[in-house]
Amino acid sequence: MIQRFVAAAVSLLAFAGVAQAGKTLDGVRSRGVVACGVNTSAPGFSSADSQGRWTGLDIDLCRAVAAAVLRDPEKIKVVPLNSQQRFAALQSGEVDLLARNTTWNLTRDASLGAVFAGINYYDGQGFMVPAKLKVDSARKLNNVALCVQAGTSSEKNVADYFATHGMKYKPVVFDTAEAVQAAFVSGRCQALTTDISDLAGARAKLPNPDDYQVLPDVISKEPLGPAVRRGDDEWFMIVRWSLFALQEAEELDITQASVASLKTASKNPAVLRFLGVSEDVGKLLGLDREWAARIVAAVGHYGESFERHLGARTPLGLPRGPNKPWTQGGLMYAPPVR
Amino acid sequence: MSGPDSRGRADAAAGDASLRLAQRRRRMRRLALQALFVAAVLALLAVFAHNVSVNLQMRQIRSGFGFLADRAGFDIGESLLPYDAASTYAQALLIGILNTVRVALLALVAATVLGVMIGLARLSRHPLVRALALGWVELARNIPLLLQLLALYMVVTQFLPDATEAWSLGSVALLSKQGLMLGAPTALGTALLAGLAAGAALAVGGVRLVRRREGGLFAAATAGLAGLAAGLALGWIGAGLVGGWSRPALEGFSVVGGAALTPEFLTLWIGLSFFASGAIAEIVRAGAQAVPQGQWQAARALGLQEREIVQRIVFPQALRLAIPPLASQYMNLVKNSSLAVVIGYPDVVSITNTAINQNGQALECVAIVMAVYLLLNLLTAWLMNAVNARVTRAPR
Repeated sequence: MIQRFVAAAVSLLAFAGVAQAGKTLDGVRSRGVVACGVNTSAPGFSSADSQGRWTGLDIDLCRAVAAAVLRDPEKIKVVPLNSQQRFAALQSGEVDLLARNTTWNLTRDASLGAVFAGINYYDGQGFMVPAKLKVDSARKLNNVALCVQAGTSSEKNVADYFATHGMKYKPVVFDTAEAVQAAFVSGRCQALTTDISDLAGARAKLPNPDDYQVLPDVISKEPLGPAVRRGDDEWFMIVRWSLFALQEAEELDITQASVASLKTASKNPAVLRFLGVSEDVGKLLGLDREWAARIVAAVGHYGESFERHLGARTPLGLPRGPNKPWTQGGLMYAPPVR
Repeated sequence: MSGPDSRGRADAAAGDASLRLAQRRRRMRRLALQALFVAAVLALLAVFAHNVSVNLQMRQIRSGFGFLADRAGFDIGESLLPYDAASTYAQALLIGILNTVRVALLALVAATVLGVMIGLARLSRHPLVRALALGWVELARNIPLLLQLLALYMVVTQFLPDATEAWSLGSVALLSKQGLMLGAPTALGTALLAGLAAGAALAVGGVRLVRRREGGLFAAATAGLAGLAAGLALGWIGAGLVGGWSRPALEGFSVVGGAALTPEFLTLWIGLSFFASGAIAEIVRAGAQAVPQGQWQAARALGLQEREIVQRIVFPQALRLAIPPLASQYMNLVKNSSLAVVIGYPDVVSITNTAINQNGQALECVAIVMAVYLLLNLLTAWLMNAVNARVTRAPR
């Protein structure tokens, strides 16, 4: 981590006038890969399988951008980052895109040289406890020893939550998610706090998940989304609309399986426009007319991606909840792709 | 009256003058070169600083040290001063610095005591003692400190019982995964401060007394440590008697009350002490062996006991040799305390990591940490130099 700070510092020290604006797309095209900053290990969002292939909701977003820009979803370079490295890596230009289940808030949007391109998962912070503790609510966690990862929004939320309810706790803070989980499993802390999606992932990784329970309380809103460097509107637009394309495809019911046939079979003008058959909206983004079709062909629509990595049939078994499309009562709402 | 003499004098004067001129010119040239070098370094730094600020502004990243007065918003597991989430970043960093100083100081004392004992044991006439001391040294200094800390932390957290089944140690202390919870005065801060003050006074008094009676360095050090311990005990008991006691007790599923030595602190303290004791033992041994054999023989010829020889003849001379390498070990120890991050002890690095991620000002925060370690180590070096000056000035 220190190396990355030093790298960021050196790049700031030495190269005044390395203009970033408008350059990310050129850099990506000349390098032939999209450099993606992701979580070191967050099952469902980004984790490497036994063959070393990265999968997850955040990885799918990277693949979508690569499919749109480089016409090949495999042309991504995965850069695993812990929570303290992430913004330094984005600032220094080490990654083009930060898709690292990162909470969007004002400070990060306005003062870190980063700008958030949208929300790809609506999350909230919760607690996991050993079942033997027989606690059914976070309100009963007074005096708890609480494992939490350093430098996360969780660290601040939990301070607010316990102060609000007049309860006390002892934070035990580690650098990495792995160390936090190890300390929790060893019994050093009686509770673990982070985003609920993370808790589900951590629980699924444990040898005996049934010995642990995630409490029902949600103590914060955590809109997770991709971020890019400030001052490069062209790249920002591409990332933002790649995310919207995933959501729009679900609303239009264009799936990975049907995308090829729909180009000729569909009568829906919105579908034909989205797939670049009737209109070329891609050129407005500096891309070609097939960009959105390629995204869906590569990773499917948002719902397919969700079910593949986080849904009921995965070890995480997370419900769609607020991540359903707005047409089904959820919060996923993409502006029209036209 | 202008004889050859006076001309010679005039020549000599002229020669002196030209010599002085040449000297002055050389001095000026050297000064100019040095000034030029300093100016070049300053200019380079200015270019760096300018570039950083331009780059940060261009990327719209907040910079400067204004954040220190902002509300930190996160909690810290253990602190010597009152602190909560409403405190400022400056206060959070201060807590971190104090935590670093606390563990480094205690480890320094423990490592020195252990190191001297093990180092002298290496020279023992008993083979078993020598072998044990050798084993200790090799174990301590051949395994990376990082691994020692991780292993020790794992043992501590796996081995100890849950808080609900804490081991009771004579009803004044509870030992569990939450750490060692001690019965303590309710006014813990006062107790520690008063104890430290009394301890310092007693230590100085003890050392003076021993020196006045012509006691050896060994006796002086023992008296100092004993004085410090007695003072701390006095402060502890005094504050307890005046302000009442707080006893650790199980409340729900946690141990509450008393003073806590967390597993993270204990691990770091023990780990740092053990690791440094190996190196210090070797320094002590090398120092003792560097004392010429003649000194031993002379002392024996005078009829001194073996213990007296070590304490009055060998140790004072060994100390003179040991202090410079000891100083660099102490500085290593202070720096090594930054490994606290891997076991979750809230030292200055750990808290700075959190701060960096909350406000994103990595450059400023890393600069602060570097300055803190620089100052701590300059202080250590200065103190050790002072000790060194005293020891070497002692009559031979």
